[in-house]
Amino acid sequence: MATADQIPDITAPSAGPSAGLLVLLAAMTPEQSEGVLANLTASFPAESVLVASPDALPADSYPSLQIVAAPATNAAWTLTAADFVNAYQLAEKNEARAILMLGPESGSLGMSALHGLANAVLITPTDLAVPCYDLPPHAGLVNSAILYPLTRALFASRVRFPLAPDLGLSLRMAERLARAAQRFTAINQGEAPLWPVNEATVAGFTIDQFDVGPRLQPQPTGPDLNTILPLVTGALFSDIDAKAAFWQRFRPLPPASDPIPMPMPQEPSSHAAAEIAPMLQAFRLAYTNLQEIWSLVLPPNSLLGLKRLAATDAAAFRMPDSLWARIVYDFLLAYRLRTINRGHLLGVLIPLYLAWVASHINITASGAHTERHIEAVAAAFEAEKTYLVSRWRWPDRFNP
Amino acid sequence: MLNILATMLQPDPYQNSQPLYADNTSIWHHMSNALHQSLYRVLALLIAILPGILAFVVALAVFTLIGMALSALLRRVLAAAGFDDRVARGRGTVDWAPSTSPSELIARASFWACVFLGLIIGVSAFDASYTTAATLPSSLLSYLTRVVGAVFLLIAGTLVARFLARTVLIGAVNAQLEYARFLSLGVKWLVLVLTAAMVLDHLEIGGGVVELAFGILFGGIVLTLSLAVGLGSRDLVSRSLESHTEHASERSAAAPTTKPDDPIRHF
Repeated sequence: MATADQIPDITAPSAGPSAGLLVLLAAMTPEQSEGVLANLTASFPAESVLVASPDALPADSYPSLQIVAAPATNAAWTLTAADFVNAYQLAEKNEARAILMLGPESGSLGMSALHGLANAVLITPTDLAVPCYDLPPHAGLVNSAILYPLTRALFASRVRFPLAPDLGLSLRMAERLARAAQRFTAINQGEAPLWPVNEATVAGFTIDQFDVGPRLQPQPTGPDLNTILPLVTGALFSDIDAKAAFWQRFRPLPPASDPIPMPMPQEPSSHAAAEIAPMLQAFRLAYTNLQEIWSLVLPPNSLLGLKRLAATDAAAFRMPDSLWARIVYDFLLAYRLRTINRGHLLGVLIPLYLAWVASHINITASGAHTERHIEAVAAAFEAEKTYLVSRWRWPDRFNP
Repeated sequence: MLNILATMLQPDPYQNSQPLYADNTSIWHHMSNALHQSLYRVLALLIAILPGILAFVVALAVFTLIGMALSALLRRVLAAAGFDDRVARGRGTVDWAPSTSPSELIARASFWACVFLGLIIGVSAFDASYTTAATLPSSLLSYLTRVVGAVFLLIAGTLVARFLARTVLIGAVNAQLEYARFLSLGVKWLVLVLTAAMVLDHLEIGGGVVELAFGILFGGIVLTLSLAVGLGSRDLVSRSLESHTEHASERSAAAPTTKPDDPIRHF
């Protein structure tokens, strides 16, 4: 896939890029900024590093770093379209060779993480360097339930965090992302999330993933799950819809670089029932009230599966991976076909997601390894991909 | 005196000159005339507007056929020119839903444009023949337009009611309100009652009675909802609130032993 098209209102890159790395920081507290700057100074003592931040940084304290101002964006918890446009414009203006984008709370990233991400795009021919965080078992659940399995199954990529707040970008990757982001900023939707892994895969760019250890994950501040989940899933569904011609063809999944560690003898959690109780209540309430709407989206087989789930005790509550995969695929299809209003569609997905979370917590609480379960879910998405492709191509065909 | 009596007893020369049934004949005659004239007027009306109706039907049918032919032609031409792919390249999108591809949208738009044109021409022809029939009641056509407007109001109101009911239902379920369906139904009927009142008002049926009835009904529904939520479903609300409180207390009770290590984070 070619990426040679230029962005109309961004000038072409200069012929001889001379500067080194551009680090674009998100807005953060002074303590976090100082931590990041200290890590950058220690990580790149010999490199010419340009740091762009919307905050006022103490340039005198870090003489080895060039500090410039960056336009402020609303990146509260992940990178947005406006961030990618700014990154490319700044890189071009300062003739940087590569870009390291660090999201909110990136002060918790270690030096090795910064070094690994930056060097991947500076030295090696990698176009997109993505981090793999070491998160607690019950963190990043939207990513584990929807974002990662969908990206892996449809774009044949093992990137564990497709919506990572930190990224390393080559200049051409940044250009492509800026071009994609301009479609959003042009219609005043600069806060929309972008999907760098999907863009890189479609463009045929090289993607590398790096273990960066633990990181404090920034959380959405204002709106609750009922607002954020539709926003994120809607953006991903829209991107998948736009790239349907790519993912409908079969592509083998690259082999895993690091095998998943053998299941540790995780202690069965005693408080799982208390944790999942509100989620199950939300799911059961939705089951009694939203069946009519679900039946517009889901086939009878999935509805039957949900009926069984609604009647299951909290302790035995397990959502089969294949059922969850088919539910997400059916919602993706309904999103494409506009079976019902898209806002309504993504709204009625929330109780089903909560049911998956309850099931996931139950499974991990019973001693199963978290990553094992997430990999099993992703494998189910891969196995059910034929179902999606079939329904995508022939949506009116009988579907039991 | 004798003269007076003689005058009183003298028979009236005009009293028996016409038979009694002559008046009855006149009434039937007038009724017959009136009916004949009415029948004549109605037949004249039909004869006068029949060409207009025929012109309307023919114009609509012809332009519908033209629209079908034009849309089929456009589909073929645009498909041959690879129009969808060109638009997709320009837009960065590489695949379309079958019903939303640009060529399909253009073909549909052209079809409906033709139908609309036929409708306008047909109505114009009907109007021309209608105005030539001078004996017609002048309010008929204007009332017909009101009926069409009322039908559109009814359709729009029903759609809005369904949309709002679904929005409220989903929002209430996600907010974990036990009475979500009840709220949704209340909103739906509020909008439907409002729509019905608007339709009747548009049709000028009922006059002040409709306004009064609407006010009573609308106010009644709002009051019912308020009472139901506030009083009637007091147990429901208290149970819902209690369950929230219980969950919160359960969580706070469990917190010292379980929470610090791994809270649930969706992002």
